[in-house]
Amino acid sequence: MVNTTIESTTDQVVKARIGRSTGPQLNWLQKIGNSKYLGLYLLAPAGIFVLLFFVIPVLLTGVFGFTNMSTATGITGGAYLANQSSMQALGDRHDMAALAEQINQVVYTIDETGLTTAREAGISAATLMELRAKFLGQSFDNRRDAERAIKKLNNRPANTRALKVLVKYFERSVINTRYDSKAEILAAIDGFGVSLTPEQQAAIIDVTYTGWVFSTNNFKRMISLPDTKKTLINTLFFVFTTLILFNVGFALVLAVSTHYMDAGPAGFFRSVWLLPRITPPVLYVLMWKWLAWDTGFISIILGPFGVEPKNWLLDSPTNAWTFIILINGMVGASMGMLIFSSAIKAIPSSLFYASEVDGATRAQQIRHIILPQLRFPILFITCYQTLSLLTSFEYFLLATEGGPGGSTEVWALSTYFKALNNYAGALEYGYGAALALVLVVVGVVLSILYLKLFDFKTLTAAPKIE
Amino acid sequence: MTGNYRKWPMILFLGIMTAPIILMYFYLFLDTITNSPPGSLIPNELTTEHWRFLWMTIPGRPSIWVATWNTFLFASITTLIVLVISSAAGYSLSRLNMPARSFFLGGIMVLHAFPTVTLLIAIFLILQMLGLYNTLFGVIMVKASLELPFGIWIMKGFYDTVPWEIEMAGIQDGATRFQVWTKLMLPQVKPAIMALGIFSFLAGWSEFILPLVLAPDNEVQVLSVYLAALIADDNNFDMALFKSVGLLYVVPVIIPFVFFQNRLMNIYSGGNKG
Amino acid sequence: MRILLENFTKKFGDLTIIDGMDLEVHDGEMIALLGGSGCGKSTTLFAICGIHKVNGGRIFFGDHDVTNVTTQERNVGVVFQSFALYPHMTVENNIGFPLKLRKESTGDIKRKVGEIAEMVHIEALLQRRPGELSGGQQQRVALARALVRRPDVLLLDEPLANLDATLRLEMRSEIRRIQHETGITAVLVTHDQTEAMSMCDRIAIMDAGKIVQITEPKDMYDNPVSDFVAGFLGSPPIAFLSGKIEDGHFIEPSTKTKIPLDHEMAKSNNGRTVSIGIRPEYFQPNNGTAVSGKVSFIESQGRETLYNVMLPDGKILRSIQGEGSVAKIGDTVEWGINAPKILVFDEDGKRI
Repeated sequence: MVNTTIESTTDQVVKARIGRSTGPQLNWLQKIGNSKYLGLYLLAPAGIFVLLFFVIPVLLTGVFGFTNMSTATGITGGAYLANQSSMQALGDRHDMAALAEQINQVVYTIDETGLTTAREAGISAATLMELRAKFLGQSFDNRRDAERAIKKLNNRPANTRALKVLVKYFERSVINTRYDSKAEILAAIDGFGVSLTPEQQAAIIDVTYTGWVFSTNNFKRMISLPDTKKTLINTLFFVFTTLILFNVGFALVLAVSTHYMDAGPAGFFRSVWLLPRITPPVLYVLMWKWLAWDTGFISIILGPFGVEPKNWLLDSPTNAWTFIILINGMVGASMGMLIFSSAIKAIPSSLFYASEVDGATRAQQIRHIILPQLRFPILFITCYQTLSLLTSFEYFLLATEGGPGGSTEVWALSTYFKALNNYAGALEYGYGAALALVLVVVGVVLSILYLKLFDFKTLTAAPKIE
Repeated sequence: MTGNYRKWPMILFLGIMTAPIILMYFYLFLDTITNSPPGSLIPNELTTEHWRFLWMTIPGRPSIWVATWNTFLFASITTLIVLVISSAAGYSLSRLNMPARSFFLGGIMVLHAFPTVTLLIAIFLILQMLGLYNTLFGVIMVKASLELPFGIWIMKGFYDTVPWEIEMAGIQDGATRFQVWTKLMLPQVKPAIMALGIFSFLAGWSEFILPLVLAPDNEVQVLSVYLAALIADDNNFDMALFKSVGLLYVVPVIIPFVFFQNRLMNIYSGGNKG
Repeated sequence: MRILLENFTKKFGDLTIIDGMDLEVHDGEMIALLGGSGCGKSTTLFAICGIHKVNGGRIFFGDHDVTNVTTQERNVGVVFQSFALYPHMTVENNIGFPLKLRKESTGDIKRKVGEIAEMVHIEALLQRRPGELSGGQQQRVALARALVRRPDVLLLDEPLANLDATLRLEMRSEIRRIQHETGITAVLVTHDQTEAMSMCDRIAIMDAGKIVQITEPKDMYDNPVSDFVAGFLGSPPIAFLSGKIEDGHFIEPSTKTKIPLDHEMAKSNNGRTVSIGIRPEYFQPNNGTAVSGKVSFIESQGRETLYNVMLPDGKILRSIQGEGSVAKIGDTVEWGINAPKILVFDEDGKRI
């Protein structure tokens, strides 16, 4: 009761004030403005964007992962084409080698279609009339037989060339012709004189389809390829090493050491360590290349010591990994640095005073006062950065491209190479999507896990105005 | 800070660790205006030749000005979309009751943590199907969409810190929730909008993978793709030229960074990826 | 152990907080540094424990010069205003922390923690964490942690400020009891005069980085050296009137009331403009020299009642009276000043 009274008074006030000042034409705005669905209205644009380019891609990655989509199949759909390879597949996959043999043949059939087209093409009517009278409905298994039969006609073509032209009109084959639909190719085969059982029809549709189809082959292939295992090991090595050394380890070093400085130098170091993050990746990696190039900084510096100039970035897997981890790590350290720094700042200064009074050395203060307070931020950074390291490949692509010899190829990078960029130009969207799907699933699972971990309830406290 | 621990060991240690970054930046600048003899790091002449790309287009590449304009369009339109949509959605999630509210909140949080690059293949195919491949429009939509969960999350966080009393007072004074949002809440979160705006602009300006995959052609090329293609071209290796293009490219990033450092630090620690 | 500060100077950047302060705390004594915020009392405490480095002068514990000794090596115990308990450690670990840092054996630590816990009455709380304790319990833990290492001196920085009123009363006597039992030299920093007066052997009252007066509480109340000290001690506070000394009397300017003063003093200061301080307990009905004014404010404090009496020129006299008073706001009253108890200050606020 009390509530409704308050609401209705508020309503009246609203109507009184706004109604009077802005006039009735704004009523719809008022309605939306006070609607209990206002939240949804305000959320809707975000929803559309996110749905279109975020949620749907997640789902479609799942769908595409189960297809054989590639540059060969196209991405929108395909035609039906019986060619050497699909006939081979008919024999191999469906054990219908005999059928394939039949379809694979070229036959010459004297039929109405052939006669009509020949007439339209200007072949003499007499010849065609005779042909029709004598051979209509007959088939010849090869060109020679057909030519021999035509030669026997009274009104036969004047020369061999004309004969060959004429025969051509009756050549019947389903091989190497594109049919736009299932019905067309089946009709063609039927017209070819081969009658198919339903099983045979299905098999033919299967092998002749040139568009993408659903299959689980991607995953079978993924498991069977030795490359997969190598990439997986590379990825795990990269994620853990970078995470421990830089994203958590060095970030802690930065946060703690700047804590023990005056504001001036501390601010300077924090800014400088943010530079790798804000520098566009292309340029950032370029600067590393300058360091590592055979005419670059390291080679010049080491020159006087008798070290041959070389491209340090790509000369050996060890060096490549060192650079990769440095390149990624120096970017990654800054986020941990910022989060840890603000966590240290949140520790009451009296705790530092108290521990110094209690006799703590700097190391003991770090060990007993700072680190215990950073437990949660460290967990947070570990979770977040595991995911981002697992899936990022930008710096790999720019720095080593997975080289030398694939030694720095990680999962996300190989996904990119398989589906979006490779030297051969044969892009395997389906297989790439399947590789990406593994990351997507890991991503979704970990994100949901983090949601549970980081106390979702406190973030979703109900609004105080009902 | 007490006087019980010496500071110089810390400064010395970090100074050594930080030297490579400073060195790289120093030479980034130096090498664009000087020439050094082979095998030396000490320049022997000043030159403007490395900046020639400004007035003459490099063969086979789009004009640098086209690429710069494209980058600007890409970054600023993305920013605009992110700002408008996340300030509305952030308010909605922070303050308004709605059906399935906790579902949306959870969804945004999950998406926020979710690694977006994994979606590249699907997005590439979707743009192909929609006919938006190789258009700035398409890649802008994609970039904005992928930035949105972060933007919404940040804005929600800022709205959360505005006292409820302001909103309650607004309602008592007869404003609708919509008016409360536009007239009372938005002014309160201006600094947040500013910070998110700078952040989004920088993110757009630096973006490489999305334009590379979704809009690589010369007419729609952005600076990151331009520079990467320049570097990747083995026939014309010219480190000083690369650095000059890079310096031109990085200036619009460094300037806001210097001026808005503290705000950016806040937002970078707000759970951005990387 | 005696604490001695010689010519102690502390600056923050260009700002001088304390300039050449001297202070001696006797062995086993508890002294209060009393003053308003920003007077430098906490700075002094932090200098004694070494958290702040001094910019000039020397600090001695006993005969040992500790000026350049780090905090860690000074062997002081400090109780902070916020208690500064380590939130991630149990009470036992909190108290044992200083001993652990000294690498004492686990057995020793356990024994000593047990003893001190018994002394401050928190034996039952040892396995809890600070977050699960009440303010008073946290205070006791902080005290135990400060004392467990047997420090040379105990420093207390506003230790009661974060407690509610009843606990404050209880902890006042508790801290004093523990200080007596251990016989430790202690320095209490506080802005609360009641705390300073009730807990300490001596009070050093500070203003703008200087010690204005240092003496025993009762003496300071009765014989303040300046109007600042007189105004700082006493609740409700002392009331001041300004006027001239003429013929052995202080002339109240608005009512022309003549208040007799000490002969010697009045003679030597004849004609001088002074201010006099009258404490509320010395302005009572039927008592010495009568002054009339209007009751402008009444505050009942239960057992006693405080009256503000406004003189014609707007000056206020305060009176605190027991039961039986019946004056109402607006009444004109004529109450008396106990002339011998008047404190007289010169133009600079110095006691005459």
